[in-house]
Formats: sequence, structure tokens, C-alpha cells
Amino acid sequence: MTDYIIETEDVNLWYDDNHALIDIDMQIQENKVTALIGPSGCGKSTLIRVFDRMNDIITGCRIEGKVFFKGKNIYDPDVDVIEIRKRIGMIFQKPNPFPMSVYDNVAYGPIIHGIRSRKDLDHIVRRSLESAALWDEVEERLDQSAIGLSGGQQQRLCIARALAIEPEVILMDEPTSALDPIATGKIEDLVTNLKKRYTVVIVTHNMQQAARISDYTGFMYLGRLIEFGETVQIFEKPSKELTENYITGRFG
Amino acid sequence: MEKFHIQLDELKDEVSDMGILARDMLEKSVAALKDQDTELAQWVISRKGEIRVIDSEIEAKALHLAALYQPMAKDMRTIACILKMITYLTRIGRYGKDIAKSAVELSEKPHIARLVSIPYMAEIVCGMIERVLEAFKTEELSPLESLGDKDDTVDALRHSIFRECITYMSENPKTISQCAHYIMIARYLERCADHACKIAEKVHYMITGEHVEIGYSTD
Repeated sequence: MTDYIIETEDVNLWYDDNHALIDIDMQIQENKVTALIGPSGCGKSTLIRVFDRMNDIITGCRIEGKVFFKGKNIYDPDVDVIEIRKRIGMIFQKPNPFPMSVYDNVAYGPIIHGIRSRKDLDHIVRRSLESAALWDEVEERLDQSAIGLSGGQQQRLCIARALAIEPEVILMDEPTSALDPIATGKIEDLVTNLKKRYTVVIVTHNMQQAARISDYTGFMYLGRLIEFGETVQIFEKPSKELTENYITGRFG
Repeated sequence: MEKFHIQLDELKDEVSDMGILARDMLEKSVAALKDQDTELAQWVISRKGEIRVIDSEIEAKALHLAALYQPMAKDMRTIACILKMITYLTRIGRYGKDIAKSAVELSEKPHIARLVSIPYMAEIVCGMIERVLEAFKTEELSPLESLGDKDDTVDALRHSIFRECITYMSENPKTISQCAHYIMIARYLERCADHACKIAEKVHYMITGEHVEIGYSTD
């Protein structure tokens, strides 16, 4: 259990009668980037939401199986979900900055978690924005509204906001699908840097992106994890015909 | 992606055609040598520019497909195989041209003996090229079997031709000029067999994703 930061054991998930995840056994390595690919509706977003219990809030959603985070099943009744979401952050497809200043966006999490000292907050805001490769661009406008930033900057701000509470894992659900190629390139570079300190799990429908930035790739289809392995192997020599057909576009 | 796969299939056909041209150049150059047929030798020499143009065209198309579609898995391996394969095929064609040039020079007086080993070598090498082209086309591994053994035979023939020529040259220095050509031709054919083995390795990789060595046992 302790070799992997996240490990699932026989996970099944239903949205009412829809069996959305079927028998998922998967291991996420620490300080690596793991990508999930697959056609729309295959369950990849559902799966990463399992990792921080984001599906809890969806009515009709039922989950079976175990999801270990550092050896502890996060679905055990004694688990504090808020604590889990502090340690496992999430970045969404569309940047969703709060309608407040750049500074307050990043300081929001730490304040909620009880940090009050202005000096400490300044330090956290700067460190988080630097880690998200945004500091140089917003240094002069920390007190301005985050809504005025470009899409790519907003997404990096959301990453900075996630980093501010010092998570161990960052989940990203198609984080660049709403961004132009240049902003996408910046996020991709950022992901590669982030893995030095964090574990990243990224859902993407851009296979070239998965190939570029991830160490491990999982291919999902109709709720099942069809193939999981090192990214180079998956894209150069997949072992399952279904994976081969998907990544070479011979699908449907 | 259907358009991509149609274009990739068409490109594979072009590579196969190029392979047939390279093989024909080699086969005909040796036939021209054996029969002292300068007309046939000139046909081979005239194909040199053509194979170079085909090489450039296929390379451009392969790179174009890679840039446009960013192929993965077997598609990517096929593009990689094509890019290496056309270089080897061009070299085989150019060796055909070199042999044809020797054939022109050697047409002025009779061969020092009946040519046996060189045509036999050429037959084996052309057979090797046909096998790799078949494997490339059908994406089956079976034509690649025993290619290493054939390469060993070709190597042995080259040594045998070399020794034979040394004997002729020591006995009669007037044969040196001709024998130098025979030795070079045997060397060209041996290189063509090596290129066929290299193509076989790339085709094997294309089909399976595994890198293997073919024809290294006596090198």
C-alpha cells in the first residue's frame, strides 16, 4: 500500500443505474505525472473525482471499493473530507478564479485554514504564484481583480490557489482545453516542474499532451481502465488492441 | 483520421515501389555485368536521379504526415520505419549504379573467368530485399526468418571472391584492374545485404514495436 501515494482497489461507481466505473485497480506513483486518456464519457473525470471524494456531493452517486491515499482508505467513515481535499487539490477545465483580487484568490485557502499573519500570507502568495509561474506577470497587479487576467493566467492563478494550501497531490481535469496553444504550453511546462514537489494526475483528451507531460498513462474505455503503463510504452507500443485503435484514431 | 490512414497506406505503396526499383537496379546491374550488356548498364545508371527524387519525395510526405497528424503507436512506428528504409533503399539503388558503371568499364574485354559467385551473391541479396519488402507490405514477420543466415552466406561469398581475385592477381598482374572491380562489386553486394538486414530490423520494429538485431553473427 505504501509504495504508491494513491491506490484504488476494485472501485465501482454508479450514477443511479449508470455503472460509470467498473473494477478500477490503479496505482499512482508519488512525484510523477499520471495522465488519464479516453473518449468522452469513458469515466476519466469521474475517476479523478473519486480521488478527492468530489463525487460525494452528486446525488444518486454510489461508490464501492477502496481508495487508499498514503495507505489510508479515504472512504472510511472516520476520514475528514475537508482534510483530504486540502491534501489533494483539484484544477478544473475552465479557470474559476473567485471574483476578488489576485492576492485574495491565493490567500483565500490559507486564511480559511487559520493563517492570519500578513507576513506569512505575503510569503505564501508569492511562493504559490512563483510555483505557478505567474508571479512575474502579476507582481504589479496583486490588488487588481483576477477576472481581468487572461484565460491562461486565470488557470495558473487557480493552480497557485491550489498550491497555497500545500497539497500533496494535484488533480487536473482537462486544465488546458479552454486555453490557446501558448497558454497550454505554459501549463504543460508548469506541470513538468510541479512534479518535483507534487504528484499530478491529469485528465486530458489531448493525447499528444499526455505523451508530452506524463510519466504514466491510463487508457479508459466504457468505465474500465483498459491499459495502464509507462507513457512511452503506451504511445509507442500499447499492449491492448483497443488502446492501439484509440491512440491511432481507428476508433468507432 | 481516416484520411491519414489512406495517405499512410498510399505512402507505404510508394515505398514498396521504390524498393522494387532499388532491387531492379541491383539485379540488372549484375545482369549487365555478367552479359557485358552496356545498354542495360546505362538503364541502371540513368535511374540514379530517379531514386534520389523518390527518396526526397517520400521523406517530405512522411514528415508532412508526422507534422500534421502526430501519429502514435504503430502509425508512428510505420513513419519511423519509412524514414529509415528509404535511405537504405537509396543506397542499394546507388550500389546498383556503381556496379553498372563497373559493368561498362568491364565490357571492353572478356571476363577473366565465367562469373558465378557474383551473380549468385546478387541473387541472394535480391531475394533478401524481396523478403523485407514483402514483410513491410504484409506486416507479417515470417518473410524475415532466416535473413541472418542469408547474410552470413553473402559474407562468406564476399571473402571467397576476394581470395579468388587475390589468386588471379598474383598469377597474372594484367588482371588487377578487372579483379579490383570484382572485389569492389562483391563488397557493394555485401553492403546491400547489410542494408536489407537493417531494413528488416526497422520492419520488425514497425510490426512488433520490438528492436532486434538481424545479421550480426559474423560481422
